Amino acid sequence: MSVEHHGQFLHSSLAGGLRGRAWRAGRPDMAECSSWQPPRPCEAYRAEWNLCRSARHFLHHYYVHGERPACEQWRRDLASCRDWEERRSAEAQRSLCESERARVQAARKHILVWALRQSPPADWHLPLPQEKDE
Amino acid sequence: MAGAPDVGGPGPAAGEQLQQQHVSCQVFPKRLAQGNPQQGFLSSFFTSNQKCQLRLLRTLETNPYVKLLLDAMKHSGCAVNKDRHFSCEDCNGNVSGGFDASTSQIVLCQNNIRNQAHMNRVVTHELIHAFDHCRAHVDWFTNLRHLACSEVRAANLSGDCSLVNEIFRFHFGLKQHHQTCVRDRATLSILAVRNISKEVAKNAVDEVFESCFNDYEPFGRIPHNKTYARYAHRDFQNRDRYYSNI
Repeated sequence: MSVEHHGQFLHSSLAGGLRGRAWRAGRPDMAECSSWQPPRPCEAYRAEWNLCRSARHFLHHYYVHGERPACEQWRRDLASCRDWEERRSAEAQRSLCESERARVQAARKHILVWALRQSPPADWHLPLPQEKDE
Repeated sequence: MAGAPDVGGPGPAAGEQLQQQHVSCQVFPKRLAQGNPQQGFLSSFFTSNQKCQLRLLRTLETNPYVKLLLDAMKHSGCAVNKDRHFSCEDCNGNVSGGFDASTSQIVLCQNNIRNQAHMNRVVTHELIHAFDHCRAHVDWFTNLRHLACSEVRAANLSGDCSLVNEIFRFHFGLKQHHQTCVRDRATLSILAVRNISKEVAKNAVDEVFESCFNDYEPFGRIPHNKTYARYAHRDFQNRDRYYSNI
């Protein structure tokens, strides 16, 4: 039985996203890259914040986790997104990146029970056994 | 109005131990029938096979859970073909469906799927198994932890354990009841396809629960209803922008 950290795809994606950028004091200087945009459209942050604050979500979250949901980070991210759209604020960009990386890390912190494939199963597209016989 | 437990385990395969084969072939009798041609459509409507096919088509075209799973599988190199990867069959017992890893096919129990909502949930459940089969080396037949993990994920992410469904089963509970339901239904699903004791099945679920309950792929969250599933699909479609900007 083999296990694998969930971060395999994440690390390659992160590396791909940060490649070629100038580094400063151990942190990527993303403000110098003019093609950066918020990871999600600002409407998505608003939608997530609204969903998080809804009574229905409170019920779902309590039913699953036994505690109330925390929605403050979505509000902060929405504010950062708007700030960046209006003023191209470097602080807003940094804050958004930090927040989303934290979300990704939180989602990937558990060790997988199985090993991930490098390619799909070879027989996925093969015809069914009786069709092959025909 | 108790819902029939969905079977998420694989069907029998060559080389599988006799005990396991015995259990699986009792549930999916046609999976082992040699030279048994697939039932064609009957000339009249409202046969169970016809209903199954029509409901399946509607699920594949409209359900946001399923559309996300289909996109994710296509992205992983396992594009799903309705005629190749789905089969509507009569099943024994109370099961609603299964994933046969030996043929890469999802079995839908046409005699046990009650309505469109049930079909939506069964297809979602089985596609989660298919997705796991596609993206990971899941040893369905000899590694009980792998089977348990996929069953935990399927129970967690398919809507099997929604508050409404649990109430319909007369299982009343609120605080963290979802997790209890996931453990119980994963255990039931394992027992439906493995000739092992309830204790052994439960231990396997307990061992993998922490990891597998928190593995939300490809949804990125627990989709409590179609709104969450649509948001998850939106995020999946946005993933290139997302990962290139964090």
